[in-house]
Amino acid sequence: MGYRITKKENLSAIDFFMEVEAPHIAHSWKVGQFVVLIADEKGERVPMSVYHAEDGKIGMFIRRHGVTTFKLWYEFDVGDEIFSITGPLGKPIEVKHYGNVVFVSDAVCAQAESYATLKAMKEAGNYTIAIQTFENAANTYPEKYLAKSVADEHYLTTEDGSIGIKGHYLDVLKELIEKDKVDIVFGGGKLGSLVKLAELTKPYGIPTIVTVRQIMVDGTGMCGSCRVLYDGEVKFACRDGPMFDAHKIDWEDAIKRNARFAKQEKLAKEMYMAKLKEKGVI
Amino acid sequence: MAKRELIKERVPTPEVPVEERTKSFVEVNLGYDFASAIKEAERCIQCPPEYAPCIKGCPVHINIPGFIKALRENSNNSNEAVKNALRVIWNDNTLPAITGRVCPQEDQCEAPCVMGKVGDPINIGKLERFVADYARKHNIDEELLQEFANNGENMKGKVAVVGSGPAGLTAAGELAKMGYKVTIFEALHKPGGVLIYGIPEFRLPKEILDKEIAKLIELGVEIKPNYVIGKTLTLEELLEEYDAVFIGTGAGTPKLLNIPGILLDGIYTANEFLTRINLMKAYEFPKYDTPLTIGKRTVVIGAGNTAMDAARSALRMGSEVIIAYRRGREDMTARIEEIHHAEEEGVKFEFFLNPIEFIGDENGKVKAVKFEKMKALEEKDAKGKRKIVGTGEYILLEADTVVIAIGLEPNKVISEEATGLKTNPNGTLVVDERLMTSISGVFAGGDAIRGEATVILAMGDGKKAAKSIHEYIQKKYSSA
Ligand SMILES: Cc1cc2nc3c(=O)[nH]c(=O)nc-3n(C[C@H](O)[C@H](O)[C@H](O)COP(=O)(O)OP(=O)(O)OC[C@H]3O[C@@H](n4cnc5c(N)ncnc54)[C@H](O)[C@@H]3O)c2cc1C
Ligand SMILES: Cc1cc2nc3c(=O)[nH]c(=O)nc-3n(C[C@H](O)[C@H](O)[C@H](O)COP(=O)(O)OP(=O)(O)OC[C@H]3O[C@@H](n4cnc5c(N)ncnc54)[C@H](O)[C@@H]3O)c2cc1C
Ligand code: SF4
Ligand code: FES
Repeated sequence: MGYRITKKENLSAIDFFMEVEAPHIAHSWKVGQFVVLIADEKGERVPMSVYHAEDGKIGMFIRRHGVTTFKLWYEFDVGDEIFSITGPLGKPIEVKHYGNVVFVSDAVCAQAESYATLKAMKEAGNYTIAIQTFENAANTYPEKYLAKSVADEHYLTTEDGSIGIKGHYLDVLKELIEKDKVDIVFGGGKLGSLVKLAELTKPYGIPTIVTVRQIMVDGTGMCGSCRVLYDGEVKFACRDGPMFDAHKIDWEDAIKRNARFAKQEKLAKEMYMAKLKEKGVI
Repeated sequence: MAKRELIKERVPTPEVPVEERTKSFVEVNLGYDFASAIKEAERCIQCPPEYAPCIKGCPVHINIPGFIKALRENSNNSNEAVKNALRVIWNDNTLPAITGRVCPQEDQCEAPCVMGKVGDPINIGKLERFVADYARKHNIDEELLQEFANNGENMKGKVAVVGSGPAGLTAAGELAKMGYKVTIFEALHKPGGVLIYGIPEFRLPKEILDKEIAKLIELGVEIKPNYVIGKTLTLEELLEEYDAVFIGTGAGTPKLLNIPGILLDGIYTANEFLTRINLMKAYEFPKYDTPLTIGKRTVVIGAGNTAMDAARSALRMGSEVIIAYRRGREDMTARIEEIHHAEEEGVKFEFFLNPIEFIGDENGKVKAVKFEKMKALEEKDAKGKRKIVGTGEYILLEADTVVIAIGLEPNKVISEEATGLKTNPNGTLVVDERLMTSISGVFAGGDAIRGEATVILAMGDGKKAAKSIHEYIQKKYSSA
């Protein structure tokens, strides 16, 4: 028995939205937690953030990235079933009254988390601010998928300035911090930006909680694939995170470990693309 | 009884030649055929059951002379012989195709075997395996299942089993046979526990495991994969819906070496390495999507079954392999057969080496392991092993892949969430003599209560817990 796809929609030049029937997960999912999915029987176990969990369904933002995510985009449609989905995994973040809560994001997983987190934070009485960064206009999502509806203040930036504010979330956040508007920052996305984020907020003593993406297998703390150095100790991102205090992570190591399979993945992707071309799919 | 001639030597089982088997994951040992099984069975001197040392040596006390007798008593009718033998085994162990392959027989039933005093002990493990394999191939287990299945009597009561390793599978099977409605919740996408993600195909073909699990389904057990109890559903939620819960979540958390360089690329825990290979079939990448990087030279740290499995898998993926162990040869905990196979296949062993640092290249990839040379003292430690101390001498072993196989701890997913569930300082669950945890109606067994142990002990617990659960539920309904 698989898990039925109930919605699939293009978000941008590179990302798409997919919703899967998974009542077992929707029932218990909390903000900060993720899922692990497998597209088909030969598939890899890949972690995904959750955009929403509603009516027994899990909505995800997915980047067309490598074999799994290509498969999901090219071979699976509404009504089809994916092989497996497990969750919720990881530790939820504490949803309570902090004051002014900012969520910063510059990659697909964090765009999903931005909406989910700020929605919960708003319901908990916080003043919510979203800063969502995209590479360019073509990569930007339709408005209904942005965190606009759950943010009291919403900033959209593009790195090339083709839409919204020109710049990165770091630039906007810096201004907000200087205006003294920030009690806590949550965020996620590119690991490289998270390093700079940690550097930015640290001197101000602003609590900064971010997703530390690492390559995962089981997602339950069984394999140790996702280990990170946190406050001098080895932690497992799937079990002890995935959200951690950004000021305590050894980012240099985290970035290196996340590129472990780059070569293999590139090779697999090329082979898969060739197969798609042969079949006339692309 | 006419006096039997003592045949000192074992009837051997054929094996796939080394050159062939190191190129693939096919099963190494081919097992007995009927004729050779009977020949080996004939060697047993049939110690009386109340005395038989082999029975005492087996953690679940399989009636070993009993099944051997059944086998040879009908040596002119193989199906009948196997059916009778299987019936005897099933009374104590419903997964003989598995235990026959993975039990450390040399430390258990075969260690005290009387024949061992005059020659080779009876090859009990291979006989057990033969019975199971023959039965499966000839659908004899199906027939017997009808006999064992609960015929018509449905027990009042529903039981949830958490985890589908040998402990969970056994508990579920026993309870289903008694007529309970059983649901297994498994965190991974496939059932089997270590049997599916840890132990490689060349020791335990997946096809055999699948068949054993199919029998449970036939008995009416429902299996729900992708359920992480403590996350997907809480223990409390299970207790609302089920009359009792059995926790068989194993010891799934890898121990890491707390030494510099542990995050370097190329350093795997045995669990990650073996899961990628066994569960995700990384050795068929890119046909299967999960990759695994393996270099020219692999160093495996440890000397248990896990270390042997990782070493032999690495070898099959084309790497040269060294097993480095901080103690001596005599202290290795792996099954003798696995050590022997590893050596035969070309795995090298280095003893008295204690890792102290992983050394990386400029790209963050491991290139060597630094060890301190150790030496053994006469003094023994609590486990009866000679104590070891550092010598202050160091050596480097070059390696572009490292697998850490130094042991496992219980996974804390459930105990962290269900705060009423008491644990020991080492993370194992506290249970009483019935295997009931600190929460009424919640039982546990296997590695979750023992730390790293064995398949047969996990199964023994599953069986014992099933009995306790039966009593618990009976009492609950009779007093209600
Ligand atoms: C907690 C968490 C949440 C995530 N949320 C999202 C999300 O919401 N949307 C999204 O598109 N992606 C998300 N990712 C990343 C996603 O899991 C990977 O992009 C995905 O595995 C890519 O698979 P692929 O086969 O398409 O690409 P591949 O070619 O396999 O990989 C491309 C890159 O993805 C990363 N990756 C590959 N396999 C894994 C793995 N098993 N675990 C983690 N990273 C991996 C690697 O950095 C790799 O270089 C998340 C990752 C983590 C850890
Ligand atoms: C590589 C390796 C080789 C081994 N070789 C041998 C051998 O040759 N002989 C031998 O006797 N022993 C061997 N062992 C040890 C043996 O496998 C274990 O003792 C045995 O599997 C323990 O069984 P178990 O049922 O307690 O747990 P496991 O087999 O560990 O199964 C536990 C199951 O529970 C699931 N689970 C965990 N947490 C949750 C949760 N919260 N919710 C739902 N499901 C959950 C896990 O995914 C897993 O499937 C080996 C171990 C390893 C790792
Ligand atoms: S101890 Fe050895 S000889 Fe005696 S019954 Fe057991 S297997 Fe046979
Ligand atoms: S993914 Fe296996 S321990 Fe985190």
